[in-house]
Amino acid sequence: MSLPQSPRRLGQRPITRTFVTRSLRTLRPRVRLGSITVWVVLLLLIVIPVGGFLLVAVSPRLFNVGPQWFTLSTIRTTFTGYTRKGILDSLFVATLASLIAVTVATTLAWLVQRTNIWGRRVWSGAMWLLLLVPTWMTTLGWIDVIQPGELGTAVGIHTLFLYHHFFGPDGIVFVLSTAALPFSYFVISVAMRGLGSEFEDAARVHGASRWRTIRTVLPIIAPALLSAFAISFAESMSDFGVAFTLGSAAHFPIATYVLFNAIYSFPANFQVAAVIAAVLILSTIPPVYLQSRVMRGRSFAVLSGRSKGVRRHQFSTKMRVLVTIGVALVMFLVLGLPLLGAVASSFTNTASLVTPTGIHWTLAAYRQVFSTPPSFTPLGPPLLTSNELGLITATITAVLALVLAKRLASRTSGLAQRIMDSFLLGSVAVPGIVLGIGYIFFYDQRFITEHVIDLYETMPLLIMGLVASATPGQARLLTGPVAQLQSTMSEAARVHGASRFRTWRTTTMPLLSRAVVWAWLLTFTKTISELAIAQILYQPGHEPVSVDIETYLGTIFATIGSAATVLTLVEMLGVIVLVLGLYRLVTPGGWRRLGEARNA
Amino acid sequence: MTPSAVSIVNVTKSFGEKFALRDVSLELAAGTFNVLLGPSGSGKTTLLRCLAGIERPTAGTITIGDQVVCSDHTVVGPEKRHLSMVFQDYALWPHLTVRQNVGYPLASSKWSKTERAARVNDLLERVGIAHLAERYPNELSGGEQQRVALARALSADVGLILFDEPLSNLDADRREQLRIEIATLTRESGATAVYITHDQSEAFALADRVGVLRSGQLVQFGTPEEIYQRPADAFVAHFTGVSGEFAVERFTRQTEELVEVTLPFAPEHRIVASVPQPLADGAPASLFVRAAGVALSEQAGEDGLHGTVLDAAFTGRGYEHVVELAPRMTLTKVFSERRFERGTAVGLTLDPRSCFLMLNENERN
Repeated sequence: MSLPQSPRRLGQRPITRTFVTRSLRTLRPRVRLGSITVWVVLLLLIVIPVGGFLLVAVSPRLFNVGPQWFTLSTIRTTFTGYTRKGILDSLFVATLASLIAVTVATTLAWLVQRTNIWGRRVWSGAMWLLLLVPTWMTTLGWIDVIQPGELGTAVGIHTLFLYHHFFGPDGIVFVLSTAALPFSYFVISVAMRGLGSEFEDAARVHGASRWRTIRTVLPIIAPALLSAFAISFAESMSDFGVAFTLGSAAHFPIATYVLFNAIYSFPANFQVAAVIAAVLILSTIPPVYLQSRVMRGRSFAVLSGRSKGVRRHQFSTKMRVLVTIGVALVMFLVLGLPLLGAVASSFTNTASLVTPTGIHWTLAAYRQVFSTPPSFTPLGPPLLTSNELGLITATITAVLALVLAKRLASRTSGLAQRIMDSFLLGSVAVPGIVLGIGYIFFYDQRFITEHVIDLYETMPLLIMGLVASATPGQARLLTGPVAQLQSTMSEAARVHGASRFRTWRTTTMPLLSRAVVWAWLLTFTKTISELAIAQILYQPGHEPVSVDIETYLGTIFATIGSAATVLTLVEMLGVIVLVLGLYRLVTPGGWRRLGEARNA
Repeated sequence: MTPSAVSIVNVTKSFGEKFALRDVSLELAAGTFNVLLGPSGSGKTTLLRCLAGIERPTAGTITIGDQVVCSDHTVVGPEKRHLSMVFQDYALWPHLTVRQNVGYPLASSKWSKTERAARVNDLLERVGIAHLAERYPNELSGGEQQRVALARALSADVGLILFDEPLSNLDADRREQLRIEIATLTRESGATAVYITHDQSEAFALADRVGVLRSGQLVQFGTPEEIYQRPADAFVAHFTGVSGEFAVERFTRQTEELVEVTLPFAPEHRIVASVPQPLADGAPASLFVRAAGVALSEQAGEDGLHGTVLDAAFTGRGYEHVVELAPRMTLTKVFSERRFERGTAVGLTLDPRSCFLMLNENERN
């Protein structure tokens, strides 16, 4: 699926620094240069493009997309008909998917963290893999399983019934649940690990039954459950992959796809798009704030520090076998099956896996993926583009997120810090699609392209969008490790003769290296698999891999799409293995012991 | 390394509107062991951090050796002050082994690798953790971690060592053992030491000089004996341990430094007390009694004081008693080698050197 190309703007001007220098002069001298720089970056990356775009909802004249300076009529029209249905559908599927994800995640987290089932490390590893697999990949994988003639048919299952259900709310809720599952799982796992056995023991010795013990202990991890629900809801509401791959064909419009359509229909309706964007942001802010408020007062680290070691529930051998098989089946269903579908499909070159003459296994799709079929882009250049994007985005994001995390973790909670905290929290709730459309809208304004800089349909704009999308979340993720870093660590180094640089190199960097490497890897892989911003902001002729794979969907080249999906996933995992391997090779043993010690 | 004298002149530190230190001035002689004593919030940690260069005073001058490290115009970074520090939370780097932690300050010295290794080995031997050299901090007990922190501070061979309540996280046995090691090894190193604590017994055991801080101000600075025997005010007396405090009805002077006191609940008795600080006749005053100066007997003592034993606690070498002189008027921690049972009537004898008549704390405020 390719996007209509917008006409190029003329009259490009060199970048001016007017805004920055003027701001510096007018601000009070005690305001630090670092703070100003950070805020200018955040303003340009997030506040101005998104804020400007949202303003269109009530003031179309401001950006010349309508006659009124102020109107509420667009808001009224948005909440009717198709767009209203899209918004309500989104709220419905996001709520249902989040509830399912939290329920399954709580069960899995308890089984993995608090019982003696087999393969606990494998299941935790599988959750990491599930976190890395984007929803559009899962959707394509499932289509390769349940579409008549595909994997399901090959193993003798009639999948037509499932196939019809998949292209509707059931399929969307299912895929969104599987996507939200790892987020919930990791949040709840931390709580389960921190919940010492003494709470259970105290309940049991005071006469509580097994069921009453569970009811007594569960409220202790209530903040984690709420937090997991909030994250799952925000992720589901803002997901674009499912909406794009499934929502359109399912005749079940959801908000992100309606928003996308509003921009890419002719004529583009920026006003309606802005209202839907505002609804998306407003609907995800409350749960994210709720999560933040709930977590603020309840530190699981404190619980963990005081608690005794976790005692695992010992299943009998029979139960252990049964429960382990159950967990394996769940993991196979949410991760193994769609991956297997994509892999199976990629090794054929026929319209469907099963043909009247049987299954014809071939490597043709893998050969074709690097050649140039007519009207399609081969995988090589897009994969290279995505890797370049991943490398640049992850590196910029890691640096920016670390700077922000340091400010957020600062012990002095001034007004500026509280504003930044709230701002980043709010930014996490801005879906990628809103950012993308905000960018395409704002940076294509004539006064920008003609008088400031023409970034429209350029790689820098795409990188800016990807960085803007990744930074708030990564900054908040890194705040934890940065806050854990006792100030005495660096004070001790300075007092014992280390310069600022040596202090950073020998104490701060080793202690944060693992977290930063993971933040980098997470951003890198998410950038490669990112679809919403990539689809909207890619530079023509330089499609990222996610956009490229989308073009194969529903065509006779679908097997090439499957091969490309498999290769992309393998490449992503390859980079993870490579980077972690390098980290292991080049860092001293003490650096690597930190995480292990914490997990022990 | 030559020990560094330290001069602190009119140092003030405020955090927003709140003053952590107000006009603190202090001169520490080179090679002495100085303890800053005070309750939580008294400013002792802030003063130590200002000395270390971790905090910058709002005003005032600090000189270490002959180097002005902090004034209105100068701020020298912590790494250039030639000092070392033992932190309350140990501040050991978890990614470095014990050997690497101890050797850290030597990396920027001019010593050869062999000399550095020899010094680290020597220090590890001296603090008794040579066998743990290749372990990581999280594999050590609290006491072992504190030994590593001590060895690291000593390894730098600097003129000034700072101690930020280093024993506060240890149990009583280890605290005593490490206190002795800190005193011995620091004195052996010849460095000037500044040690902060809120424990008066620790302060008296370690210090050549004790400074008592209250609400960001230095109340008294002197030898442990001076602080104990001639407290500057009721706060210092309290903070360095009193068994009881009683408002005085009237007092008459015997000599310039001795008075005869009458207590409201025992008007027929006269108690002789010392006056450590000037006190105007007729000023509202209280009698402060140190536990060490109280003796128990079965009959009323020379002062004619008597009371009833409320509690007796075995301490190993004897018993500490709580004695009620009148309703809500008690003396605590009164020691006797023999046990006086609860409810027993006892006589009390007070040593005038352990009884101070001073201005009421409320009046001073």
